[in-house]
Amino acid sequence: MNKEIPIIMIRDIAYSYPNGTQAFKNVNLNIFKGELVAIMGKNGAGKTSLVRTLNGLIRPTQGNIYIESESISSKSIATLSKKVGIIFQNPFHQLFANSVEEEINFSLKSCVLEKEEIKIKIDKILDEFNLEKYRKRSPLNLSGGESKKLAIASIICRDPEILVFDEPTLGQDAKEIEFFINLINRERKNRKTIIIITHNIEFAYEYLPRTILMADGKIIADGPTKEILNNELLIEQTSLIQPQIWQFCVALKESGFPKTDDLLSKEALMNYLRNFLKNKTLKV
Amino acid sequence: MSLEFLNAFKFMKKKSFIHNLDPRAKLVFSIVYTISALLFTEIIPLLLIFLSLVPLVLIGKLFRQWIKSVRGLSFLIIFIIILNTLFISLSFAIAMILRIYIMISAFSLFFLTVDPNDLALSIISMKLPYEFAFSFSLAFRFVPTIANEAQNILDAQQSRGYELQKKGLISQVKNLFPLLIPLIICSIKRAFNVAEALESRAFGSRKKRTYYYSIKFTLKDWLFTLYLLLFLTYAIFIRIEFNLLPDFLMWSLPV
Repeated sequence: MNKEIPIIMIRDIAYSYPNGTQAFKNVNLNIFKGELVAIMGKNGAGKTSLVRTLNGLIRPTQGNIYIESESISSKSIATLSKKVGIIFQNPFHQLFANSVEEEINFSLKSCVLEKEEIKIKIDKILDEFNLEKYRKRSPLNLSGGESKKLAIASIICRDPEILVFDEPTLGQDAKEIEFFINLINRERKNRKTIIIITHNIEFAYEYLPRTILMADGKIIADGPTKEILNNELLIEQTSLIQPQIWQFCVALKESGFPKTDDLLSKEALMNYLRNFLKNKTLKV
Repeated sequence: MSLEFLNAFKFMKKKSFIHNLDPRAKLVFSIVYTISALLFTEIIPLLLIFLSLVPLVLIGKLFRQWIKSVRGLSFLIIFIIILNTLFISLSFAIAMILRIYIMISAFSLFFLTVDPNDLALSIISMKLPYEFAFSFSLAFRFVPTIANEAQNILDAQQSRGYELQKKGLISQVKNLFPLLIPLIICSIKRAFNVAEALESRAFGSRKKRTYYYSIKFTLKDWLFTLYLLLFLTYAIFIRIEFNLLPDFLMWSLPV
């Protein structure tokens, strides 16, 4: 689909934990610049371990990873974390500073910036994330959603080319998820590559165009999200269920509604039903 | 940085003579070996005590974990060698290393072979209140959880450019804050959660409890304890009457 060189090239990597359990093996993957990718699969399928290899937190026991065409095997985590920013599930695993401002400052320390530049960056990022009003507050007094925002801000301020989110929608309310969606749209406009590990089927179905499906440490499918999540055979191999839209379409089809096969998005389904009801009322 | 070394203290269910011993007998074992290690500062007696641990490790089928715990200490060992050789002597340094190895081995043998549940029971059988025993065994149960959490925190901080190695003592200490503060905060949070979960299951509603398992001091436990007490008596005897014993026990390196 794309002739350019992928920003992330994973070639036949494998990894086993020190206790001997295999996390994943024979993983091959190409991710292109500016792509928005979902990684889905059962708990323990190797998703988190796989993304941890991208910034060197885990070194694969076999195979190679190339980021921007360079092998990462000899690069330090500190160097790689400038290109790959991983945002972990639990924000409280990284918040420690006395104030929100200092928290961002800590992330910028290793970026070799002038004092003035740091100040401008902090102002900008706090403004973008609506955290300006908490500037002097302790990060530990923030609410769950706010602390998650701060954790994301503390990675995005470093401006990495590749952003990896581990379960970003977990425990977030609707408003917070909306904020997150706006955020990924904004980052996509800046041509950032975004990888999202998620169990949230509806979220992936709606917003993430490509899905990588993992089971037992292997990639079992890689392609357009809508095709993958509508594929019953694939879904059976993982602990996922089909998206509600798909289930709804199946129900429509079973009750004899015509032409329900192309209804892949919320808008398409709503238009279909609107048209159907309009025609129906006209007839009556 | 790997926290694998903590695995050397994690209980694993196995069948062996050591595993089947009563936890109290094994507690006596750890204490006896610790005391005897503290009695001597000479290489040969400490080496003999150390070697007497090896058969027990082998009987307990724990050789691999034991090696891990020994290897995990290598950092400390370098520290001890440098400081002791500089200020006292190499002989003393080696003796101190043996002493630490004996104590670590004795306790790692204890934690590797004592089921945390039995540990609580053995504390209760020493007439201590149940709440105390329970919190004690709960603390052990959370060691691997906290080790896991520490690894996660380290990963999260490294993802935002945190570097573990820094030059200079003060910046090294300062550098620990990004790891320690989240760890402490998460632990406190979890402690509150655990407390609430326990209370919602009516913890402590009755003073008298019954137990699913029970532990018994059998003949082999008595024999093992007897052996340990003889061992300790002999060690104390040697310590006091050192000049009655052959010279080779006093041997030390010329430097």
